[in-house]
Amino acid sequence: MTPDPLNRLVAQLAKLPGIGEKTAQRLAFHILRAPGEYAQELSQAIREVKEKVHLCARCFSLTDSELCGFCRDNRRDERTLCVVETFADLMALERTREFKGRYHVLHGVLSPLDGVGPEQLRIKELLTRLGDGHVEEIILATNPDVEGEATALYLTRLLKPMGIRVSRIAQGLPMGGDLEYADQATLAKALSARREL
Amino acid sequence: MERFVDEALVLSTVDYGESDRLVTLLTREHGKLTAFAAGARKSKRRFAGALEPYMRLRVQLVETRGSTVRLDSADIVAGYYGAREDLALIARALYAVELCRELTRDHEPHLELFELLEAYLGKLDAKEAGPTSLLAFELSALAQAGLMPRFDSCSLCGGPPGERPRFDQAHGGAVCEPCGFRARDAVAVPAELLSGLRALQEGQRTPLPAELRARARGVLNVFISHHLGRRLKSVDFMAQVGLD
Ligand SMILES: [Zn+2]
Ligand SMILES: [Zn+2]
Repeated sequence: MTPDPLNRLVAQLAKLPGIGEKTAQRLAFHILRAPGEYAQELSQAIREVKEKVHLCARCFSLTDSELCGFCRDNRRDERTLCVVETFADLMALERTREFKGRYHVLHGVLSPLDGVGPEQLRIKELLTRLGDGHVEEIILATNPDVEGEATALYLTRLLKPMGIRVSRIAQGLPMGGDLEYADQATLAKALSARREL
Repeated sequence: MERFVDEALVLSTVDYGESDRLVTLLTREHGKLTAFAAGARKSKRRFAGALEPYMRLRVQLVETRGSTVRLDSADIVAGYYGAREDLALIARALYAVELCRELTRDHEPHLELFELLEAYLGKLDAKEAGPTSLLAFELSALAQAGLMPRFDSCSLCGGPPGERPRFDQAHGGAVCEPCGFRARDAVAVPAELLSGLRALQEGQRTPLPAELRARARGVLNVFISHHLGRRLKSVDFMAQVGLD
């Protein structure tokens, strides 16, 4: 018989993605054996992430203040705006250290078969943001699948008439990849999006 | 457990758990199937780019217990990439696959519907399919499913629909003015709408003017949702983004 508090912790941990019953047990035992302050800090961190983290009022990425770090940072170029589906995508782009502009997180994509339309995304907020006239170029960085493509095409239709330059991130072969092992869809896209040298 | 090869059009996909995906396929020989694609979300290489709506594939499937099959491999036969470059084409293609998904039952062969959808996707890809083409496709797909709205005569008395016809989804089509009192849900429709839809049903491909297309869309929406018991989701999308 295992004590109830331990069972409860295992049950909660097992709800996490990628965590099975066994791993949950191992994690629970680890917490139990660790010094008392670790459990304190862990529970505090979990509580605070729910209490303090919310969406940035301007770009809808995550922040614990009114505006996120990307929106507050004056060194970032406010003329270029990168539109992404999720915060995870924003983080991936940020890891490249290539992009110095600002972001806008849509929180999803247009998904006709799931009934997700423009109103369910942060598109109205994007258009409002553009009202101040600072943005000159928008980079559409939605995923290269049919929903990401539909979203990019829909946004293009809205943005082009506003006189904003709209670009789409390129799609094709992975760096260091081998043509022979590339999948058909990627290779087809890479061919059709070839550029003149 | 039997393994078989077939041609398939992807109707829809849904993520399953952490790393897998369920793919609804319309196959040439075996009808609609729900296939379990293990690792499709985690390993980008195995099914890369193939498990997307309206891809035409050559698939290797394995029968399993229950009604699901296992997807072992998928080669792209046609990606219809031309039909992925334009919002209106994407909207029509997704509407077409959703309609086919809702009109069919698992494991029942639908060769004609497969060929109809394949031909329509080919037309969209070649950018030869305008908004009227979707109405024509719908009417053909409905006919394949045994649902043929009647436009050339009154569904109740069989007489001509007349100058002031109505349309009643429950009775399956046009209703003439004198029969109108027996069809309480019927709505008045222009006579040229019925003749336009009838022409499409007969295989004529003359584009309908925008106003008639909008009326046709309304009539087909109520007809389809009445017979399927629900409204197609992609039809709302078309309305939201202002396309047909
Ligand atoms: Zn922000
Ligand atoms: Zn009648």
